[in-house]
Amino acid sequence: MVLDFNTLYAFPGRFDRLFEEFFKPQLADGRRLAYPPLNVSEDDASYYVRSELPGLPLEALELTLTDKSLILKGERPTEQGKYFRQERPAGFFQRVVALNVPVDRDGVKATLADGVLTVVLPKCEECKPRKISIDVA
Amino acid sequence: MTERNTDLEARTEAKPLPRVSPATDILEREDGFYVYMDIPGVRREDLKIDINENEMVVTGRAGQAASEKETFLEVQFGPGEYIRAVSLSDLVDREHIKASLKDGVLTIHLPRLEKASPRRIPVQSA
Repeated sequence: MVLDFNTLYAFPGRFDRLFEEFFKPQLADGRRLAYPPLNVSEDDASYYVRSELPGLPLEALELTLTDKSLILKGERPTEQGKYFRQERPAGFFQRVVALNVPVDRDGVKATLADGVLTVVLPKCEECKPRKISIDVA
Repeated sequence: MTERNTDLEARTEAKPLPRVSPATDILEREDGFYVYMDIPGVRREDLKIDINENEMVVTGRAGQAASEKETFLEVQFGPGEYIRAVSLSDLVDREHIKASLKDGVLTIHLPRLEKASPRRIPVQSA
């Protein structure tokens, strides 16, 4: 055997794994179904869309901003060789983030660091809540 | 919305980071074995690879990329500690293992030992 994956091999480790499988947080709450996983957050100035996209350069990603949505498209390549184990997803993927809020379309920025994509969508100035002063007639 | 946010904060601060087993590919090529692990969010400083006798353990810590002020509308991944052990066979040349991290993918090259390369044994006539 070349790389040993025998079930009897690392016995103490097997018990750890058994427990971990019981308490896996991601699978338990039914997330992780869509690929890639997304985090969406906001602060006073912007909306942030983050995604885990390991192994992809920014050029291999296609980000499209339409009127109502942000579309994330790309393809994860497969490595050449004889596989013993394949867990990393491969192939085309696409995710659509519906934007129900107006954003400053010209100020949208995307960065990719350590396999995590961050898209910053600034809230537009005109759409921020404003106080309207009422003049007494 | 706020409930989910406090939930996330509680997870990151109070408890130790959740342990995640990273998706791993193991494959063989002419020059040895290759191990690929998806560990997005882990910087090189936060990554450790330990080799014991016949087990290689990869541990990495992915931090929270968001700032404190942000409120989360949707959370599908979070900070965590990646941990994965791979057994090494005797065929692997332990002295020449190479690892590199690029775009959140860890690549480990495990070359074959020289003497383990296949060779033909000549049969001599008596």
